[in-house]
Amino acid sequence: MHGSRGSFSGHPSTRAVARSGALLALLAAGWLASVLGAPQDSVQGVVQKILYVHVPCAFAAYLGFLVTGVSGALYLWRGEARFDRVAAASAEVGLLFCSLVIVTGPIWAKATWGHWWAWDPRLTVTLLQWFIYLAYLLLRSFTEGDERAARFAAVYGLLGVFAIPLNYFAIELFGSAAMHPENLQRGSLGAGMGLPFLAGVLTALAAYLHLLLLRADSIERRNALQELLEARGS
Amino acid sequence: MRVLLAVLWKDLLSEWRSRDRVVAMLIFSLLVAVVFHFSLPGGAGARSQAQAPGLLWIAYIFAAVLGLNRAFSVELENDALSGLALVPVDRGYVFLGKALANTAILGVVQAVTAVVFALFFQLDLLPIALPLAGVVALGSLGVTAAGTLFAAVAVRTRFREVMLPLLLLPLLVPVLAGAVRATAALLQGDSAPWDALQLLIVTDAIYWIVSFLGFEYVLDE
Repeated sequence: MHGSRGSFSGHPSTRAVARSGALLALLAAGWLASVLGAPQDSVQGVVQKILYVHVPCAFAAYLGFLVTGVSGALYLWRGEARFDRVAAASAEVGLLFCSLVIVTGPIWAKATWGHWWAWDPRLTVTLLQWFIYLAYLLLRSFTEGDERAARFAAVYGLLGVFAIPLNYFAIELFGSAAMHPENLQRGSLGAGMGLPFLAGVLTALAAYLHLLLLRADSIERRNALQELLEARGS
Repeated sequence: MRVLLAVLWKDLLSEWRSRDRVVAMLIFSLLVAVVFHFSLPGGAGARSQAQAPGLLWIAYIFAAVLGLNRAFSVELENDALSGLALVPVDRGYVFLGKALANTAILGVVQAVTAVVFALFFQLDLLPIALPLAGVVALGSLGVTAAGTLFAAVAVRTRFREVMLPLLLLPLLVPVLAGAVRATAALLQGDSAPWDALQLLIVTDAIYWIVSFLGFEYVLDE
């Protein structure tokens, strides 16, 4: 740990947060411009543009989940607090993006399929992922003892990561007709749609990174403050 | 190995003497079966037979959660959790003993519940008794592995009765999917589909292994 430092300005985490924030602002501006300039889909109309939000958010949500699982495993292995901080932060940010996916998806679905929801494999797995994230965060909040919470959360995060591919097989088994559009392939997007999509993905990843660093930094400060208060109190 | 058997024997013996978990789980399952009758349009009976596999597994899972909530309560109430944690071997063996005991207890409840369901839903279970027992065993193993791990986790949290199902249910979807599919096929007179069994076996294996390894980090003093 960095010991008793007076202030956090100039601290590596703060600089990283600021830099990732600047990168995000830049990418977001470019993305917004490209979305506004993108052509409208002839069949779906303007609602198709949700694709530029929905799919990037999905990438970020999956990434967050993976990072939570891996970081938790590293924490169990190495015992270093920073791995736990990253795991916790990643779960919170991932839950945010997962929520965005679940909100934007049905908006598009209602406009194109005519109903808000379908028990399609991808939707179901995303919903389950949302519940697992939520359970992870509740576990962290309700466990008595910070170190214990970190351990418990790491084990749960690991099991959660395994649950996702298992769920894919499980739902395919139930034979639910896959209504969700297939994975995008080269050329499957119309002309002029590739750029806003790519910009969206980059923006989402930058947003994930920025929020992750922000949150991890915030957790670190809070923990340091707690330690200081405890040291003062004793 | 000795630790595993010791824990297993202790749990089964104390359950046999008090029978509190089994009785509670059984009564609960029966009540759930009755409630199904009133909640289904047309009541449980020949017309609702198609729903029977799903409802049976819902009853099983609810009963399992009820039982698992009490899995570590004896140790907690008697301040004996440290005793479990201080075993001279890998704590995973404590997990194995506990999980196997939970599976056995759940199995007894499941057998009786199946008979009750057969009565209420007018099912003929006798010809498929053995394969059904196999499928139920596979499903239960998945439930008790993750369930025992999370029971040990939940016992250290606030709102532990709520935490256990919150943690457990999302992870039980693969087990539920495979088990219901296999049960439904058996009830229709077909053999259990291989992909359902495969899903169950793979899920069980992953859950048992990860829970065994993870128990080391979960059972603390």
